[in-house]
Amino acid sequence: MYTCKTLWGSIVTAQEVLGKKPLNILEKIRENLEKLNEKMEVMIELQKHGRKDIQPLPEAPLDVMTLLSMPDHLRKTAMTVCRLGRATADELAQQTHRARAVESAYLNQLVIMGHLKKERKGRKAYFYVDRGTQG
Amino acid sequence: MIMLGKIIAVHSYKGGTGKTLLSLNLAATFVKHGKNVCLFDLDFRAPSLSTVLKIEKVECWLNDYLNGTCEIDKVLTDLSDRIQKGGKLFVGLANPTTEAIRDMSAKDRKWEMRALGRLLALRNSLLNDKGLDYLIFDTSPGLQYSSINAIVSADLVIVATTFDRSDVDGTKRMLHELYELFEKKTEIVLNKVMYDVYSRSGKEDIQGKIKDIYQVPLLGTIPCFCDISRAEGNIIFAQEKPEHPFAKILEDMANKIDKMT
Repeated sequence: MYTCKTLWGSIVTAQEVLGKKPLNILEKIRENLEKLNEKMEVMIELQKHGRKDIQPLPEAPLDVMTLLSMPDHLRKTAMTVCRLGRATADELAQQTHRARAVESAYLNQLVIMGHLKKERKGRKAYFYVDRGTQG
Repeated sequence: MIMLGKIIAVHSYKGGTGKTLLSLNLAATFVKHGKNVCLFDLDFRAPSLSTVLKIEKVECWLNDYLNGTCEIDKVLTDLSDRIQKGGKLFVGLANPTTEAIRDMSAKDRKWEMRALGRLLALRNSLLNDKGLDYLIFDTSPGLQYSSINAIVSADLVIVATTFDRSDVDGTKRMLHELYELFEKKTEIVLNKVMYDVYSRSGKEDIQGKIKDIYQVPLLGTIPCFCDISRAEGNIIFAQEKPEHPFAKILEDMANKIDKMT
């Protein structure tokens, strides 16, 4: 149980401070922190590879020629997503034997480049290639 | 991820290196060993398996599956009755009509991306669900979209090559600029070699030379057999001439592949 002292010195519980749904608020804060963390990871990654000018592309099919022209570190991530179909950064990291944070950064970079889509389901973020409908 | 079966792409830099001959005979050899195999013709620019196997009518072509107009079950033709004993052999054929060839060469990047997804899905539908042991992709030579899709989907790439100088140079480039970038396990098959099949020293010289040139493992060498040319693509040596030296070479290759993890 979280507690804190008021200006008058009386102890109050976190529930009293935050109202009726403290867990929901904490959950929201955690989610926002995770999103912020992902954005930071992408920014660090973009800076590392000197690609500050990358703009989100609405549609960039992840075909084999695109895979061929990618830098090695992104190709490995993109190919693993292709193979798995749909995966979290954790699942990717298990396959590529790289750190989860590294995979998360690469995945988000591929999302920004328009090659992958991202979908949140509860606490997990799934990445996949949007192949759309046949036409 | 549990890997139950293997996908093999048979590729080359130039045409006429013996990809179809190798794919078909390797498939037949695996079947003889009791494996269940599906052979796919991914050479949409010059389909040949339908002619070699003398199949004129199929329910659906591989083109239809990649177009998303049918499921893979409709594409597969069961040829197990042509094999005397062993496992099952299925084939998935490319449509050989001029109209289909024209249609396939005009596909855009989005279509190719979906086609890659459909090829990748074969691992689940055929290897994991149907329990097949091997899928063999007979591809177009060079850097065609369909071939690169096949390479990306495969666990093992067999590169058929000859001692032709332009073929050697092109194959070397592809090893570094294609298979290596996709981190694919690659093995070389040297075809049409001019040496005495029974001479051990000649064979060892060639093997050393190939390893020096390509720096990748050599799966096997196939001497220039006049009777293969004479057969005009009408004989599946692994099946019909099991005592032929070519069939023996295929046995060695199949055993090596079986042992690969």
